[in-house]
Amino acid sequence: MSTAASNAPRVAPPPLAAESPVAWPRRTVRILANGLQVVLAESRTFPKISAQLFFRSGNAAVAHRSPGLAEMTATLVRLGTASRTSRQIEEDLRRMGANLGTSAGADTSAISVSGLAEFSSGILELIADLARNASFPFDELERERRHRIESLRIERTTPSFLAGERLRHVLFGEHPYAIVAPTEAQVEAYTREGLEDFYRHNYTPPNALLVMVGDFSSGSMLEQIEKTFGGWNAPAPAPALASAPPRYTGRRVYLVHLPGTVQTQVLAGNMAITRRDPGWFRLALANSIYGGAFHSRLVLNIREQKGYTYSPRSGANALRQHGYFSVHAAVRNEVAAATLTEIFYEMDRMRSLPVTPEELDSARSYMSGVFSLGVATHDGVLGQLSNVYLERLPEDYLETYRDKIRALTADDVLAAARRHFDSANAQIVLVGDRDQIAAQAALFGPVEIFDAHGNRI
Amino acid sequence: MNALHIPVEHITLANGLRVVAAPDRTAPIVTVGVYYQIGFRLEPRGRSGFAHLFEHMMFQGSENAGKMEHIRLINSSGGLLNGTTNYDITNYFESVPSNALERVLWLEADRMRALKVDDENLRNQRDVVKEEVRVNVMNQPYGGFPWLDLPPIAFRNWPNAHNFYGDFEDLDAATLEDVRSFFRTYYAPNNAVLLMVGDFEPATAFSLARRYFEAIPAGPPPPRADISEPPQAEERRGAVDEKFGTLPAIAIGYTMPPRESPDWYAAGVLDRVLHGGRAGRVYRRLVLEKQIAVEADGGADMLETNGPTQMVTRLFHKPEYSADDTIAAFDEVIEELHQKEIEPDELEPVKVKLRSDFYSMLEGGMGAYMPRFGLMHYLACFTLFDGDPNRVNTILDGFLAVTPAQAQAAAQKYFVLRNRAIVTRRPVAKGAAQ
Repeated sequence: MSTAASNAPRVAPPPLAAESPVAWPRRTVRILANGLQVVLAESRTFPKISAQLFFRSGNAAVAHRSPGLAEMTATLVRLGTASRTSRQIEEDLRRMGANLGTSAGADTSAISVSGLAEFSSGILELIADLARNASFPFDELERERRHRIESLRIERTTPSFLAGERLRHVLFGEHPYAIVAPTEAQVEAYTREGLEDFYRHNYTPPNALLVMVGDFSSGSMLEQIEKTFGGWNAPAPAPALASAPPRYTGRRVYLVHLPGTVQTQVLAGNMAITRRDPGWFRLALANSIYGGAFHSRLVLNIREQKGYTYSPRSGANALRQHGYFSVHAAVRNEVAAATLTEIFYEMDRMRSLPVTPEELDSARSYMSGVFSLGVATHDGVLGQLSNVYLERLPEDYLETYRDKIRALTADDVLAAARRHFDSANAQIVLVGDRDQIAAQAALFGPVEIFDAHGNRI
Repeated sequence: MNALHIPVEHITLANGLRVVAAPDRTAPIVTVGVYYQIGFRLEPRGRSGFAHLFEHMMFQGSENAGKMEHIRLINSSGGLLNGTTNYDITNYFESVPSNALERVLWLEADRMRALKVDDENLRNQRDVVKEEVRVNVMNQPYGGFPWLDLPPIAFRNWPNAHNFYGDFEDLDAATLEDVRSFFRTYYAPNNAVLLMVGDFEPATAFSLARRYFEAIPAGPPPPRADISEPPQAEERRGAVDEKFGTLPAIAIGYTMPPRESPDWYAAGVLDRVLHGGRAGRVYRRLVLEKQIAVEADGGADMLETNGPTQMVTRLFHKPEYSADDTIAAFDEVIEELHQKEIEPDELEPVKVKLRSDFYSMLEGGMGAYMPRFGLMHYLACFTLFDGDPNRVNTILDGFLAVTPAQAQAAAQKYFVLRNRAIVTRRPVAKGAAQ
């Protein structure tokens, strides 16, 4: 190793070889007579299958009356059916080499299973049983209620959770997306009837999408699915109404006071667009140049040049009805203001000057290449297919993604930055010790201070 | 039984670099890794955290690819990259479209041959590492629990017992000369293995590996620190303050049998009987039945370590129960393993699950966008620790052959007080919740 400047001419890296075409697995798409949409993709390198049964209803559908109810419903779905106890479900899973997850986000509830392909019919039957016959045992609810309250208490000591929760409140106001977690009192108020009601109305075939990837033959898998899910009939839920998110102008700062912290969690964001917006591709590309990738400008600036932080990143976050853009970094307390200055400097640079041809080219290759890495794993294929069919994106979304990214220009990036990197109206959240950072916060706009429970202090 | 066969080919270059190739034509993608046989267990005394700090320096530039260029060249080839520091290994890996294979090998060879860093890089990465420690340990509920808490309690020999992330004064004391010397000592080709998994012809891959790596000179065999532990006579206990979290937590670690011994396989199966999700005995007893704990999980890093290693159970318990109540309930579960053989109708499903989990690890292992990371990782460990990457095709057999009697005997021998350590995390405040 040398540390002195070397006079030897540097050798250029070898050029890339000719690119191989990327083929997404052929898929079989059907809507069964009961309205259940089925998407199957074969991937036979490993003798496993992954399946996800989605319902297009989540916590946003109940946020106005019972925040987190969809999540607690999903938790209970795995804890008993008309014919299986919780213990039997867990033992059945193990016998099939399977993992099960049940969850709910803002827009979607999901039952996810991966297991050995040799047990695929048993796995399908279990998924159908959970989707149709959940029994919501009372004692299981009480245990999970306590679990949820304890985990909420821990979440309220976690800087990244508190930052995300506050930003969603600020950006979404009265819209259901404002609420990412219930209060303890709201968890106390869940009833068995409330959970059953959500389940009965939303876990229905016309509201559902089943995506399966793995070692099977699509023809016979489709037959099995028809046999297993065919007799299931229930109507689609009524669409949930939501008020519009607020409009905001000017920068504001929201400081969440967490005593004793040795870092400041910085998060800034503004409203943006959903995946269905035609501008999504150029936003994604602009984001990767700004702060969405390891080699991005923000990472180079505040990590590799200034050493303020370990893993700063920006991202375009797409929910079904609305999207928002955000950037975050956990930094030592002394540089909270300096970090925000650089975050906005890099946004403004993206908004005022076109990116160089090298940066553009590099970012396009990054986006199109990384998109394809997922084609080699069951989870990657399943994740991309779920996106396409849950968000009702065009059928050729996966096949045309790379071409769409490669067609973007420096002007597209500039336009996306001007539209979505809204530095002048960014809503800023700082989570940390107020004695350490309140003065720095005030440099960026009017400051409101909250405790970990969202109370103004 | 295990029906999966992974095709594996391997060669050793003249400089001692081992090269392993596993072709997989699922998609036009390759995952490449270079694993060095040096981890935080083996870092120099008085330089806690150095192996990890050094890992950061490997991204700071080499003779023909300056600072950030390594990252930019991988990203702009359409790929992702990372590195991690572990007990006995440090790895650097990339997943890229297959047309970038040659470029990746060039980059990895360049930094193996001629790392080029300066004081400014070192100062910068020292700051970055401190923020990494703050975000992952000092500013998080249960940060470092229990991977940083248990070793100083469980072990007596410094390599096994020190702060692996590093004390800040040790990080501050690190010099460029330390970086240089560490590189010379441990980053020679004869202390490493190069892995390629994915869409290529093995002959082509080997020839590219020769082109870029064969001219790198071998180093003297690196010194091997003595990582053996003196015999333990009694249970060891310690306590750590929990600054943010609101629940008391306990970690219980049993030191595992030596790698590849018959008891090691048996203990690996016992780990899955005890843990292994909600069907595991610990979760079932403490969370579902007795409801003393709110959360319970555990496991052992068996395949990827090559020295004293613990199977660790983590319990987050209700404040209305004491640590002693919780440990007593856990002890009943262990006592049952001593007293009674596992019935076949429990053991067989545990083995099915073990096989299924192994396949999943080979297939992914680091998220959906780092295909075959787990396969690469195991190939590296089997090469460096056991001298045979093909162990990936036979290792399951040892676990699947474990009998109830062998499992019981291993529990009686290893899951005993004189082989365990316990750390408790006690919330210091009522927490933000109150």
